[in-house]
Amino acid sequence: MKNILLTVLLVSSTFVSAQQYLTREARLNFDAGSPLEDIEAFTESGSAVYDATTGKIGVQVLMTSFQFKRALMQEHFNENYVESEKFPKASFKGYYGEGNVAGGLTIHGVTKEITVPARLDQEDGNFVLVTSFDITLADYEVKIPSAVANKISKTASIQVQATLKKFSK
Amino acid sequence: MGRLRYIFFLSLSVLLATAQEDLFDLLDEESESTQYTYATFKGTKLLNGQTNETPGKGVLQYIISHRFGSFTDEYLYNFFGLDNAHIRMQLDYGFSDRLNIGIGRSSVLKTSDAFVKYRALRQKTGATFFPFSVTLYSALNYRGARFTDGIDHNTTDRLSYHHQAIFARKFNERLSLILAPSIVHWNLVPGPEDPNDTYHLLIGGRYKLSKRIALTSEYAFSSNRSYGSGATEERFHNPMSVGVDIETGGHVFQFHLSNTRAMSDPLWVAQNPYSAANGSLFLGFNISRVFTVNQ
Repeated sequence: MKNILLTVLLVSSTFVSAQQYLTREARLNFDAGSPLEDIEAFTESGSAVYDATTGKIGVQVLMTSFQFKRALMQEHFNENYVESEKFPKASFKGYYGEGNVAGGLTIHGVTKEITVPARLDQEDGNFVLVTSFDITLADYEVKIPSAVANKISKTASIQVQATLKKFSK
Repeated sequence: MGRLRYIFFLSLSVLLATAQEDLFDLLDEESESTQYTYATFKGTKLLNGQTNETPGKGVLQYIISHRFGSFTDEYLYNFFGLDNAHIRMQLDYGFSDRLNIGIGRSSVLKTSDAFVKYRALRQKTGATFFPFSVTLYSALNYRGARFTDGIDHNTTDRLSYHHQAIFARKFNERLSLILAPSIVHWNLVPGPEDPNDTYHLLIGGRYKLSKRIALTSEYAFSSNRSYGSGATEERFHNPMSVGVDIETGGHVFQFHLSNTRAMSDPLWVAQNPYSAANGSLFLGFNISRVFTVNQ
């Protein structure tokens, strides 16, 4: 009896870890532009994890990994707006269920609870995460000087696209 | 049996809990990437000297600089020296994120200059670590002003050079420092005892007061300050300056007070005739504007 329990325990532990999915190549892009100025950036080095048993899902990105078309804009983004030195990462930690992700979105050191529509489809044994949502920059205390207030949108639209592969330790 | 079942579910829930904690920890295990330090300085120039920065790839930069007249020279009559301004214009381009080539023209000795700047090493953290940045800089200076010594001079007599290695480190968000040894070569020097090569060491830095405003300062030591036959007194003085950087979008405004008026390399670093101790202080500014011409 004891042996059976032990076996079950061992099997269940591998089962638990086998339900985790991971990628280090999540694509994230955002657009905070206005009719006066294109402000777009993307990265393909975001991390995303998903646990199919618990429904837990997490996405994280290094702010300095965002690529802009203009070097100066990239510098301003990191130095003046999101303050990457102080807050190097943005993350989402929450749950997926019924076509939504819900959880804490942390940008610029500020965490807000959000619930946004997302698709998480199983394809060839992988999970493909696709979501798109808007955030209000002021919610995350990203300050925009009045001199450029009409060039930068008060909201940023964010897109996430990630193919999470089965992960085992 | 009941006890065993209890232990089983307990272990399972502990395992599950660990698995859940581990999940978000996986996100943090991404530090394999290297992060290059950005914005060590606001501008490609500190005051007179260079910083380790170059404009990004495809970026055209225009810098206009003024150095006003001395405070000791009837400064009210000359409106704080503004009536006696010297000027330098610079146009340079970022061929890559590392290579920067530019040209300039200054009213001091009607000088034309050209320079090449290359970011050889960059400060970085993360997967690979390097504590500071190294940028190499070479400037060629052509004196356009007529010689007044009555001798026929070759074109080469008009040339001088400044080669510099700029070591820069961003210590934190506010403080960045520069140490920049350099060598200056003059094809023509005033007298036979004067060295054609002089050595210099620039120290400088910036301290950010806010996101867009920083205090800056620089000072350069010189191996030779007594040019001229048998001169015992200092004919040339170490350049020093203090200033403030103000950044507004694509512009960087640099206002400063210094004991130099020449702006082309190597005139300001190696042949600065003005001494702050004698009251020779000048107001000046550099204003840069960048244009992204090739995305």
